[in-house]
Amino acid sequence: MNQQLTVKKGLAAKDLVSVGIFSALFLVFALVGGIFFAPNPVLTFYMPVGSALLCGPVYLLMLAKIQKRFVVSILGVILCIIWFVTGMHWAMALGYLVMGVVADLVAGIGKYKNKKINSLSYILISLGGTASYLVFFANPDGWAKTMLGNGTEQSYIDTMRSTGTVWIMVIMLVGTILAAAISALVGCKMLKKQFEKAGITK
Amino acid sequence: MIEFRNVSFSYPNSKDGCLKNINLTIPDGQCVLLCGRSGCGKTTLTRLINGLIPQFFTGEVTGEVLLNGENIFQLPMYRIAEKVGSVFQNPRTQFFNVDTDSEIAFGIENQALPHDELKARVKQTAEELHIQKLLGRNIFALSGGEKQKIAFASVYTMKPEIMLLDEPSSNLDMSAIVELQKHLKLIKSQGKTVIVAEHRLYYLMNVVDRILYLENGSITGDYSPKQFRALNSAKRCTMGLRTVDLCKERPLYFAAPHATPVLELRNVALSYEKKTVLHNISLQAGHGEVIAVVGHNGAGKTTFSRTLCGLHKECFGEYLWNGKTQKPKARMKRSYMVMQDVNYQLFAESVGAECTFGIKQPNIPLAEKTLSELGLAPYRNHHPNTLSGGQKQRLAAATSMVCGKELLLFDEPTSGLDYDSMVRLAALIQKLSGMGKVIFIVTHDYEFVCRTCTRILHFGGGQIQNDLSVTEENLPKIKSIFNVG
Amino acid sequence: MNTLQLDPRTKLFLILLCVLCAMFSPSLLFQFVLVALIGLLAVVSGKWKYALRGVAAYALICLFTTWCMGVMTGTWRTMFVAFLGLLHKVYACGMLAGIVISTTKVGEFLSAMARLHFPKKLTIPIAVMLRYLPTIREDWHFIKDAMRLRDVSPSLLGFLKAPAMTVNCIYVPLLTAASKAADELSIASVTRGIENPKPRTCLVEIRMRKTDWLAIVFFTAFLALELIWKVVG
Repeated sequence: MNQQLTVKKGLAAKDLVSVGIFSALFLVFALVGGIFFAPNPVLTFYMPVGSALLCGPVYLLMLAKIQKRFVVSILGVILCIIWFVTGMHWAMALGYLVMGVVADLVAGIGKYKNKKINSLSYILISLGGTASYLVFFANPDGWAKTMLGNGTEQSYIDTMRSTGTVWIMVIMLVGTILAAAISALVGCKMLKKQFEKAGITK
Repeated sequence: MIEFRNVSFSYPNSKDGCLKNINLTIPDGQCVLLCGRSGCGKTTLTRLINGLIPQFFTGEVTGEVLLNGENIFQLPMYRIAEKVGSVFQNPRTQFFNVDTDSEIAFGIENQALPHDELKARVKQTAEELHIQKLLGRNIFALSGGEKQKIAFASVYTMKPEIMLLDEPSSNLDMSAIVELQKHLKLIKSQGKTVIVAEHRLYYLMNVVDRILYLENGSITGDYSPKQFRALNSAKRCTMGLRTVDLCKERPLYFAAPHATPVLELRNVALSYEKKTVLHNISLQAGHGEVIAVVGHNGAGKTTFSRTLCGLHKECFGEYLWNGKTQKPKARMKRSYMVMQDVNYQLFAESVGAECTFGIKQPNIPLAEKTLSELGLAPYRNHHPNTLSGGQKQRLAAATSMVCGKELLLFDEPTSGLDYDSMVRLAALIQKLSGMGKVIFIVTHDYEFVCRTCTRILHFGGGQIQNDLSVTEENLPKIKSIFNVG
Repeated sequence: MNTLQLDPRTKLFLILLCVLCAMFSPSLLFQFVLVALIGLLAVVSGKWKYALRGVAAYALICLFTTWCMGVMTGTWRTMFVAFLGLLHKVYACGMLAGIVISTTKVGEFLSAMARLHFPKKLTIPIAVMLRYLPTIREDWHFIKDAMRLRDVSPSLLGFLKAPAMTVNCIYVPLLTAASKAADELSIASVTRGIENPKPRTCLVEIRMRKTDWLAIVFFTAFLALELIWKVVG
């Protein structure tokens, strides 16, 4: 009896535990990156940029370690739940959920092995963080209304429109994509230079 | 009953830990010790019994392993888990819960036992293992030894017929090892089959019924404890095994006449989160002294060592080097600590690069010389993570030598080391001592202390209890500190 | 020392209610009452200090907000209003989430989710994540020490001085440790039968008690009050 054993299909307990651990790291890095921006009124809109900047290596190592379907989706769902539970805007939670599934599908094109496609999928999931701000820009009055009670001042909405909110949005989106790309690049380098040599990934 | 029939196994891409043609029968109720050098295949053997091979670790398997006549390879993991319980080496990564009660119940919760029985079993376990005072605690606040007890308790609660322990004592101090020994005796008396893979042998000598010696994946020795004890120490050393009787160990080096002191602490007090941990510490140490730092868990050894290196700032009193007061920054520049988990301090992508990592103008010839002196030169281009535990430690020590650090600290350096690695480490420490470095070793390992240290610093009750030179007169006292004899 | 123990399902439902409350909050006053309500929950759960700190900090933020509204003008005002808007949205839920996470045991969470027919594929990663967060903190302390000993400063300034090296020093040991922990923790869980298909039971009894219903009624009533206020006002 000679059997060459192969890896089981589907997610085993081992994969679920690994996803949990990497999600924890992802969350911590996203918070650390975001917290630099969040409490600063001028920079708060660039929080997704900060979050995207730090998580790339974690994301890519996770995919390199567990090359299976649903891994990224689970990460998306976890982030969605965490953001929702901590009271972030519902759109941010939803953004991570949707972009998690999208990123999973995209990474699947390269069978989760192609680093370039994995990097692209990282950029996509990072964009999930911008969702709440997009909703904000789509409907600033609504935001202000809940904020200030029923007496929304016209002047507030006027200033909001005049300060070039469109630019803030563009910078935020482009910045997030760029930051995610840089982070993914660093991640790829780190995988090649360190983790593959170290025998942590194949 | 466990039966191995012509079992061979090899991991993909690795020669270490393979097994060749194992035929072995372990009857019910037997307590077996598996020993041998690192990479001899003892862990692999345990993995074939608890089903981790082939279900978790893949590789090439031939032959079959039978558990009460059933082929283990055909059983799902959770069925094996009901019969075979496993305790592992690292207490930090074995727990799934944050609180101790849930962790103890984790296995039986998975078996879906009814709620009342869960409660009763946890209570029973706590009583039988005498760990009531650990109930209801946060696991993150426990010491390594306590965590290991919880890991043991969690498996014990599942009442498996077979208990496997893979280097359970690696991260334990002397008193925790004594308790582990009691627990092993307890499960043995309950008629369970016990299989322990271990480097430290002394505490198992009056527990086990049979000793299997593995060498390069084959069982080359099958001894009764009596036969095993009869092996002379020279033979044991060539087999790469550690001592079977601590009482027979004697210090190799006795304290030399006092060298001129270079390090001096005057009336130092240390606090941690505003609570005083240690006070009234005064000591002097000279070039080349090798000082063992001992004391039970929570005695302040870690705080003390971090202070010596300048990492801990809540420190009052005077710290002098060559008679000059040193700020933490200066201490940090001068000292280096080889951590218990050395993985945290290896950063570079190759052994060669690690040696010069972070140095602006590295002295390449010195780095090369150090690597070859420590037997690491052949691995120059390997990634540090691919080295064995002992090699990683030597690499960390090498970096300190290249940086020209003068005060070195080793935190529990022998955890998980086999005999050969321990001997090599002892030789390295001798060499460092010869170079005039001041060396502190935080350790519980009497055998290792005998091979390296010339002085014992014993902490207890918030201060230095004993500061003893290793001399013939002090020997009984030293032995009593280590609970030996 | 009898502290309130809520069923994990109740806690989840409370969070949902809290998110809705924050979303529909008609005024700052309502927000403050919500935070105070959560503070009360913290007190009965035995978290005195947490409650006190949380409510006091929020009171300060409210004062600051009112001051901003009154004094500031122009772009600054816009920025602050937007920022404070975010903060007010997040605060109450964040505070509640803190209580929930610190009072829910991992096993309790797993069993309660199993009762709600949540798939294990989702609950196991979440449970592991919660358990691993404190480990990251421990790891970070070790890594910081190791960096200092190698003369690499684990601070923002150090990062600016030598970015590539600092990044290496942080990610490599942290990810190596995570990868190792993933393997070892999975081994420790599969050898204790986590893959058992039977619905797992729990040491902590999972049952809806009177207090659970009471808490739900309280928060629902508050939400209703908000909605009525909105319609009437």
